[in-house]
Amino acid sequence: MTEKIKILYLDDESDNLMGFKASLRLDYQVLTAVNVPDALNCLETHPEIRVVFCDQRMPGKTGVDFFEEIRISYPLPIRVMLTAYTDVESIIAAINKGKIFRFVKKPWIEADIIGAIEEANKFYIANSMLAIKNDELQKAYDELNKFAYSVSHDIRGPLSGILGAINLANEIDDVEEMKKMLFLMKKSVTKMDAYVLSMHDYYSLQRGELKITEIDFNKVIDELKAIYTVLSKVNDVAFNISITQDGIFRSDYAPLRLVFNNLLSNAFKYQDRDSKNKSVEMIVEVEKSMATIYVKDTGIGILGSHVGEIFNLFYRSNSLEVGSGFGLYNVKSALIKLNGQIEVQSVLHQGTTFKVTIPSI
Amino acid sequence: MNKKFSFIIIDDSELDCFVTQKFLERSNENGTIKAFQNAKHALEMIRENPIEDNCPTIIFLDLQMPFMNGFDFIEEFEKFAAEIQKNYKIAILTILSPANNPTDVSKILTYKAVNSIIEKPLTKEKLLSFLIQV
Repeated sequence: MTEKIKILYLDDESDNLMGFKASLRLDYQVLTAVNVPDALNCLETHPEIRVVFCDQRMPGKTGVDFFEEIRISYPLPIRVMLTAYTDVESIIAAINKGKIFRFVKKPWIEADIIGAIEEANKFYIANSMLAIKNDELQKAYDELNKFAYSVSHDIRGPLSGILGAINLANEIDDVEEMKKMLFLMKKSVTKMDAYVLSMHDYYSLQRGELKITEIDFNKVIDELKAIYTVLSKVNDVAFNISITQDGIFRSDYAPLRLVFNNLLSNAFKYQDRDSKNKSVEMIVEVEKSMATIYVKDTGIGILGSHVGEIFNLFYRSNSLEVGSGFGLYNVKSALIKLNGQIEVQSVLHQGTTFKVTIPSI
Repeated sequence: MNKKFSFIIIDDSELDCFVTQKFLERSNENGTIKAFQNAKHALEMIRENPIEDNCPTIIFLDLQMPFMNGFDFIEEFEKFAAEIQKNYKIAILTILSPANNPTDVSKILTYKAVNSIIEKPLTKEKLLSFLIQV
């Protein structure tokens, strides 16, 4: 059963408040206030109040004044005027200044009150949904902006570089020079290809349901091990893996693999080229339906002031050409999907450790 | 052409640095050429050796770069003393075009250190016509 709707009733006559509360308290959570300060206090301490009823004629402030005030300071609750005071002037003021949703005449009948609450509640929910949708839309729009920048930089950039190189090719006779240029062109093409692949990851993460299967971490890692063992040999980076899995673990394979792949790829990518003892270590511990994964590298590290931003879309903390700004954002999106967490510890020029925890689903 | 210039290329793409450098080497200019993939390093170099080889220096500057982009670079560059600044001319080398990115392009032209804009991809003709007018 859903929680009762919270409503607030402000009236200077406590008899009215008691009668109101007595007849409605079974269906609603009714809060009452005998004066404006009490009502404001109530709104402050109960932000989940959805409907506010108010009497018009009170000592000091009128109901219209009160509504006019809370319309600015507490805009979410829906305002309903409940009063015997029905001259045209006050009705007009209630509508124009207090921006009320309903006007209920005293002495009230229960059906009118309940009708007002139900309608106001629908209105409240519609407004809240709209606010949430607006936030989502704003977020999508911001990402689209970044995306436009990224498309121009990460797709048109390498393309125009390659075009420039083709223009230059007409001027080059030296074979060694040509080979050097082809090597750089290949790097640009590879980078663009990686970019398009991670863009694909990005979209498949944004959409789609979870596909839950039983996960054997040894199998997941075995596939990646093949790729990274080669990298480890070529770049002279020691690569150690330790896996302990105790019991069944259920999760979605694709995002899980993406997390492993991106973290490992980064660990190898951001090694310090001049360092002698380069290593990447991966530890996977699965215990009591919780997987804890550490990926440690002895790489270049991340500047303290950049750590907060590395999970943002298209953020690159390094001027090395390799990053696309998708990787860790995709990791984070995948982890949100899997209900997981990620922490990072990094010391500049010494290395970075990512700690990931994922619950079995 | 016997005007003597030194050149600084600032571009995060290694390929673009290479292409610009090779075109320059073939343009009959005989000044030194330095390429930087990180604008910060170029800035440090200028700070340490503000006047290179006693000849004016042309900076080819990319705009969209991680870390320090072209705009940031110009902002920092304009903090140098006037006598240092007058030794340099900045040419923006970018994939942005006045037709597709009018706001960015007109923003660049508000900086007085910026001499001209060359749209990528670079060609021999674009480079030569720039070197003649500079």
